[in-house]
Amino acid sequence: MADTRAEEAVSVPESAAIQVRDLVVNYGRKRAVDGLSMTVPRGSVYGFLGPNGAGKTSTIKTLMGFRKPNGGSAKVLGYDIVDESLEVRARVGFASEVNSLYEGMTVPRICRLCRDLSRSWDQDLVDRYIGVFSLPADGKIRKLSKGQKAQLQLCLALGSNPELLILDEPTSGLDPVARRAFLKVLVGEVAAEGRTVFFSTHLLSDIEAVADTVGIIKGGKLLVSGDLDDMRESHRVFRIAYAQTPPEDEIQNLRALDGVNEVEREGRGVRLRARGDVGRVERALGDRPHQIVDVDSTGMTLEYIFVAYVEDEDGR
Amino acid sequence: MIRVAVWIDIDSRSGVPIYVQLVAQVRHAVEVGGLGPGEKLPTVRGLAEELAIAPNTIVKAYNELQREGLVESRRGVGTVIAEGVAEVAREGKRRAIFERLRLLVRDAAALGITEDDLWEGLDSEFERIPREKGEEG
Repeated sequence: MADTRAEEAVSVPESAAIQVRDLVVNYGRKRAVDGLSMTVPRGSVYGFLGPNGAGKTSTIKTLMGFRKPNGGSAKVLGYDIVDESLEVRARVGFASEVNSLYEGMTVPRICRLCRDLSRSWDQDLVDRYIGVFSLPADGKIRKLSKGQKAQLQLCLALGSNPELLILDEPTSGLDPVARRAFLKVLVGEVAAEGRTVFFSTHLLSDIEAVADTVGIIKGGKLLVSGDLDDMRESHRVFRIAYAQTPPEDEIQNLRALDGVNEVEREGRGVRLRARGDVGRVERALGDRPHQIVDVDSTGMTLEYIFVAYVEDEDGR
Repeated sequence: MIRVAVWIDIDSRSGVPIYVQLVAQVRHAVEVGGLGPGEKLPTVRGLAEELAIAPNTIVKAYNELQREGLVESRRGVGTVIAEGVAEVAREGKRRAIFERLRLLVRDAAALGITEDDLWEGLDSEFERIPREKGEEG
């Protein structure tokens, strides 16, 4: 049972944990979510990345049924977020930055409250996570640090033993050490148990540390999404050393290659950034009319990749 | 249970895909004899806990290791280092050497070094290798 056989683990899940289509959410006259579409695969650790005010919280509130969408549709664990929002709320573990805890309560007291509000409650599971975080088992919430409160929220969100967790900025306001410890448990325990984790953040470092899938939101729209390793694989920088400084038409020809999105001269050579089918770019470099002495290719950091997407968007 | 994690050091900030880092480091551990045939790798969940890496990423790495023939999955046991792993590792190294040769020849040609010059260099390098080995095959 504890053994995970690779061929089993790889089997494709029959449906997505979250499926959003053309979602629109307005706040008064402001459009907070503007035609957002995304898919969160089951079993993934999905980082929902975007600056403050990008529409992350509005999207999450709408998914949880706290707001009605003004357009589009979404399904969470197969349930419609409008018609079946009670099912969604019963099945999803949810924690948000704003959803503050009752400061005067003790840890056991708030557990009882949550149990009473929940359809099913697994106190053993909650206690296990309280132990994982070494939270004071009967301390007053008021006396907990900010990091401990975030940890307690996660424990409570796990109380219904959900297969999907939706966390709105769970690391917000935590210092780097507390953030790291929190993320480590999120991926090393919560996700390792087979739960899908969907969390929003404005910090790329959170994504790099634990996510396997990312969606970047800006201005209420999804700029890019996908598997992080695929992104690392499909973005490369090539540094090409020519025997002689290549003429301008060679630079133009490189620019025209499929998948090449930036070419710069660098001394006698060229620096080229490629996106997409980088294998084809590499092959094209093996067959140039001008003599090439050396080609060196390196991956791009996620930071660089994301900045490129955001700038592309701004440039339009 | 062996601790594969001692062989693995993931840099999530580099541009190299995490699963590629995992695969390369397990491959290295096999090549240097740190992991031998029949040794059991941690479960996906176990390794996710140890390294704090998303389980999907580990599944991807294990699948790739399996595709390369370095590991195999056994019913009721889990993922283990494959029996023929020494063979696979040797073949991998052989391929890597010929890849280096390809680049060497390309770079030499680009610098105008002739085939004859290169042959001469190769010959003299082989001269340096002690006789007893290699001779008997």
